[in-house]
Formats: sequence, C-alpha cells, structure tokens
Amino acid sequence: MYNYTIKYSCVNTYENPVFESFWQYIVTPQNNSTQELSSGVFSVSNDAVIEKSINGYNFETARIHTKKPFESLTFEAVFKLTKTKDNPLKIDPKYKIEDGYKALKELDFQVDYEAFLNTTELTTLPKEQVSLFDFDTSKSILDNLKRLNNWVHKYIVFKAGETTTETLLETVIEKKKGLSPDFTHLLCAIARVNKIPARYVSGYLHQGDGLLGDSQMCAWVEVLVPNLGWIGLDPVNNLLTDHNYIKVAHGRDYKDCEPLKQLLFSYGEKTSKCVVEVTYEQ
Amino acid sequence: MKPTNFKHLFSSYDGNENLFDEIFDKKQNVRKVYQKLFDIYNDQSIEEFINLNNKAKTSFFNQGITFQVYNEEKAQEKIFPFDLFPRIIDADEWKIIEHGVLQRCRALNAFIWDIYHDKNIIKAGLVPMELISSSANYLRQMDGLDPVGGIYNHISGTDLIKHSDGKYYVLEDNIRCPSGVSYVVYNRNALKRSLFGVFNHYDIHTVTDYSENLLEILESVKPKGVDVPTCVVITPGVYNSAYFEHSYLAKTMGIELVEGRDLVVENDFVYMKTISGLTKVDVIYRRIDDGFLDPLEFKKDSAIGVPGLFAAYKKGNVTLVNAPGTGVADDKAIYTYMPEIIKFYLGEKPILNNVHTYHCSRATDLKFVLENIHNLVVKPVDEAGGYGISIGNRLTKLEIEAVKKVILQNPRKYIAQPIMSLSVHATYIEDCQSFEQRHVDLRTFTLLGQDKEFVLKGGLTRVALKKGNLIVNSSQGGGSKDTWVLKK
Repeated sequence: MYNYTIKYSCVNTYENPVFESFWQYIVTPQNNSTQELSSGVFSVSNDAVIEKSINGYNFETARIHTKKPFESLTFEAVFKLTKTKDNPLKIDPKYKIEDGYKALKELDFQVDYEAFLNTTELTTLPKEQVSLFDFDTSKSILDNLKRLNNWVHKYIVFKAGETTTETLLETVIEKKKGLSPDFTHLLCAIARVNKIPARYVSGYLHQGDGLLGDSQMCAWVEVLVPNLGWIGLDPVNNLLTDHNYIKVAHGRDYKDCEPLKQLLFSYGEKTSKCVVEVTYEQ
Repeated sequence: MKPTNFKHLFSSYDGNENLFDEIFDKKQNVRKVYQKLFDIYNDQSIEEFINLNNKAKTSFFNQGITFQVYNEEKAQEKIFPFDLFPRIIDADEWKIIEHGVLQRCRALNAFIWDIYHDKNIIKAGLVPMELISSSANYLRQMDGLDPVGGIYNHISGTDLIKHSDGKYYVLEDNIRCPSGVSYVVYNRNALKRSLFGVFNHYDIHTVTDYSENLLEILESVKPKGVDVPTCVVITPGVYNSAYFEHSYLAKTMGIELVEGRDLVVENDFVYMKTISGLTKVDVIYRRIDDGFLDPLEFKKDSAIGVPGLFAAYKKGNVTLVNAPGTGVADDKAIYTYMPEIIKFYLGEKPILNNVHTYHCSRATDLKFVLENIHNLVVKPVDEAGGYGISIGNRLTKLEIEAVKKVILQNPRKYIAQPIMSLSVHATYIEDCQSFEQRHVDLRTFTLLGQDKEFVLKGGLTRVALKKGNLIVNSSQGGGSKDTWVLKK
C-alpha cells in the first residue's frame, strides 16, 4: 500500500481583465484496480464556483465558469489516494507466440479496439518512417513492446523547450528531442502501425525514486497485449509502469486527455504557471 | 403530338424524348394527373403569367425568404427562386416514397445505434470498420451513450430523383441538419396567394402541419423526469445560410430561437438566459454542426457553441436533436451499403433504389473510376450543398486529369456514380418568357420520435434552372417548386 498526496496548482495572470471564462480541468486521478482515490479538494480564487462533471470519454472534469472580470486566477486541487502494487504479469506458458499475433488479426478484436488502433494527427508517422522500428514476430508481442519501449527511450533525448504538446511526430523524429507526450506519441504510433492497440495515458509520476519526468503532468503508454490485458509502458524511463504511476485519463493522443481546456474572453498577454507535487507517505 | 393550345407559355417547350418528363408522356400527351392544371394554365396569357411571377418574387423578397451563397470572395444573400408551376405526385406513387423513406430512416437509426454500441454489422463483415473510423463525423464520445428513445436521426431529409426508367432512386440521406422545409411551406403559401383558384380542382395534403409535428417529435424525446419540456432552436446566428429557416421553425413551433451565448450550463443542466432569470432547457433542436456544439468537448475555438453542453447531454439532462455523431451515417460512402443496412436491421428489401456507387477507397473501383470519369459523377463523401461535384461528361480532358489527381490524393474522400438522368419538369424561364424542360429532384422530410413517425406529405422539388444542368442545390443556382401530394 502506498499513500500519495498530489497537489496540482495553477496561477494564471492576464495583461487585461478577462470578462468571462470557462475552464475544464482533467486532473482527478482515476479509481481503478490499483488506485483508490480517498479525497479530492478543489479551490479557486475570485469566489468562482467549481462544478464536477464527466467528459465525453468518461473521465472526471472540474469546470469553472467565471462571470466577473479578473486579472489573475489561482486554481488548486489536492488529491489523496492509495495505490496498491500491480500484480506481476502472469504469462501463460501454454499461450503460444503465434496465438498472440493471430488474436491481433481477428475482426472482433480490431473492431473492439478500433479507437486505439487507428492513428491520429499526433500519432501519425511520416510516410518514409513507417518502418522506423522492426517488429520481430519470432518473439512475443510483449517482448517486442519492451524492445520498442527501450528503443524509443534511446531514440529521443528528454529535453524541455524543444516541442509542445501538439508537435507532430515528423518534427519529433527530426529533432530527436522532446518530453513525455512526444515519447508517448511515438510509441503509440509504432505500436498501432504493428496492429497493437495503444493508448495515451496522462497522469502523475512520483519522482521520489529518481525517475525522469517534469513538474507538470506526465504521459505514458498503455498497450493491449492479447491474453495479458492493458500494460503500462513508460518510454521516458524505459520501464513498465508500477505504483509510482498515478493514472488520470487515457485517450488516443494528448488532445483526448488535455489537462486544461479553456475559453477566455479577453485580449493581451497572459502567463500561466502550473506545478505538480507528488508526495508519498508510507 | 405537341400541345398546340400552349403556344404562349409553352412556345419553346422542346420535349426531349430521352428524358423522363413529369408532365408529358413519351407521346407528348399530358399525363392524367396534370391535365386539369395544364388546362388552367392554358387559359392565361403570357402577360398575365409574367405579372403573377413578378408578384410572387416580390412577395418572397418582402418576407425575407432568402438564402446565402458562400463563395471564395464574399457571401451573397439571394431570393429563393420559386416556380409557379407545381409538381404533382399522385397518392399511389407517394405511398411508395413514404414507405421507402421511412424504411431508410429506421434502418439508418438502427445502424447508428449499432455503430455506437456493439458494432454488429461490422463484426458481421458487412460494413468495413475503416469506413467508420475514417469518417470525420464519427464521434467516439457517443460510444455507449443511449439517446432518449434510442433515436439519433430525428430529422432526415432524403433526396430522391426519378430516372429515365420512371423509378425513384435515392441520391442522399441527409441526417445532420437537413434544411429546406421552410421553403416547402412558403412555396405553398406563395402559390396559394398567386393562383388560389387552382387548389379548388385538386385534393392536396397540407404541408403546414410540419411544425406542429416537429414540436411533438421534440417533446417526445424529452429527458426522463421532465413533465412539460422547454424546447428551443439553436442557430449559429444571422449569418448562417439557413437562418431564415431557423427563425421560421422556432416561430411556428412557438418556441425560442437562441444562439450559443443565450444558453449556459450549470451543474450539467442547460439554462436559457431570459429577462426574468434562468429557465431550464430540456430539448434543443440544434442547427449547429457537431464540432461546434461545445468548445470544452469538441473544437476549442467554437464561439457559437455552449461550454459544457455535451456533459449535460451525456448525463441525460438535455436532449439534442439530431443526436451528435449522427453524421457518421450521412456519408456518401455509407450510402453504398444501404441495401445491406436495411436487410441487416429490418430484414426487408429496400423499397427505394440506390444508385450504384463506386468507392475510390477500393482498388478495383478506383481503377474503374479513373478509366471512366467521362461517364461518371464524382462526389466528395462529406460535402453538402453540391460542392465539389464533377460531372464527367461535362469536363474537358484537362479537367478530367485534374479530377483524377484530386481523387488520387485522398481516394477515401471520393465516390463515383453513373450519371443519372434526373426527370424533367416544365419550368417557367424568365429569359425566354416561356416554359422549358428543367431537371428536378425531390427532398422529403421525415421525423422519428419516441413512438411517433411522420413523413411530410410534400417536399422540396428543386429545379436546376440552367438548361441541361443536373445540380439542383440552391447554393448552385437552383430554384424550387411547390410539390403537391394528392389525397387518394
């Protein structure tokens, strides 16, 4: 059992008053088989009201609608949750390597996981780079994915300021530098080209163990391996995900799980500073 | 025999025998249903008719019955061209149309339900998954969501043509935000004002009951727990090409016409801002495309939507009509599968014919299309209003090469069909001051609600005003006619 406290805070300042604004945060950790949210406390400045809701992909949102002009707005969310250890992967020795590849080809499988098999704008490999990474079908799907995780880890250098969350893979491949969304998009793209369902996961990473990430929300990948289920891969740290990874949402790419969507009626410069702190109590 | 008694109005009526004429049969005799009308028009002099025609035009202008045409340079507002000679459909013929369009709408509704739930038709190998996942109108946010009464396409506009074989063929199923119904009613009003006497000789179904039926449909899909629902029509605003229709429908249903900024979402309920405070809204007839409905869920830069609207819809606190994501079936590539779709969900044979369609996404079809463009109509799968259509036999060699290039850039985006010969109808042509043959189609309007179905007994007969032209869309210079459905 691991007890975490996550603090997400954002300070936004504007050159000119914002007359009306709408904010939608997707920052609440999910309740699932390995994590249980015990509390979530939201606060916002300027007497604005926070409403909780569910978005189109069934993830919790916190919405704010400001009606009075303001020049600065602070948003803070504190979550407490318990994380249990992932069960070690139970690999069935009777399930043959070729059975896995056969399962990927079944129509029902392809229809059920269609959303995570098709590429999106952010997960499309440039035409000439489609075979950037070769799958070795004499090895199991999981082994290939682990190899791919390692390959992406080495291919991109973790560096801030080179890309944005919506940089296309063409640029990422050219620069070979980026942050967790770029690692994630590249791994998803290659997995999907090889007919393996892959989804973009946004969440928090406990960096206490010396893991790479940033002080904002992180991203990693979940791939669906026949007979094993969804497995988390973190190409930034070349790891299978464990109790240090706290999941918020998943989607086809960054756009499906954007932590903040907003609509502002204002003009001029703005500055926005968001910080995430993940603390761990035994 | 050509009609001799029509020497004025029909002086240059040149009946082309290869075309199916709605008024004259192959021997140039007037068809039975038109005989009376033909005799009445025959009594008028050309001067009287010109006078009437001008009055009708002024009336449309004064009432603001206009539409916008978008082009690259500027948007233009135009009077909707109206022809004073109505189209008549007899009761037996109408029965086939009515059953046929209802069958299609029911099947499409079942198809959309399936696509957003179990996807059985795809798993059965009848419709390729690729067609759905590549559709710009496939909204994954609708997956597993159950709209009230299981209805997605509450309002459908089915475009039909009559081919030279005298049979009806469906050209398109419009189930996003089909427009045109207000013109149906105004065409009837205009004809009644100009030539009220002709109505004494025919027993015709009314078309003015559309709005009351639409309101009943909207109310039938009210959210659970609501007793008397508040319904509204939402419009993108006065600059939208169909704004006249949005305001007409709201006015005749006796409900509010709102824009996105008039609505607000609080705690997943939708409210309308009124001078006496917020009023809860239960059913929204939306004339805004899916992508613009909610900037927090879809296009971030939509300024015409309502932030939080989709979450309210998902919770079942408000009904959107038509349901978001319905457009997945309003795709010309899906159209090809209509016979299979009808059979799969209803176990029936299609009543109305489909035009054979070639998918450029299929290698064999693509090859055929590229080799036979001169005999085909090439259409983009997801455009409306007749935009982007190329009619092969009207193209020069150079233009054909250009079309080929465009298709090859994105084959999934194009389908091709044989050039269908739309039936022709006598239409008054101002420049010649006489009646001439012009191609026509027919848009019917079907409503599906909870335990209620309705097909408007009438429709919008659109006329291609340019001689020989096959594109009837008003945005491409088409006009329209009042359409009479006779009672049995």
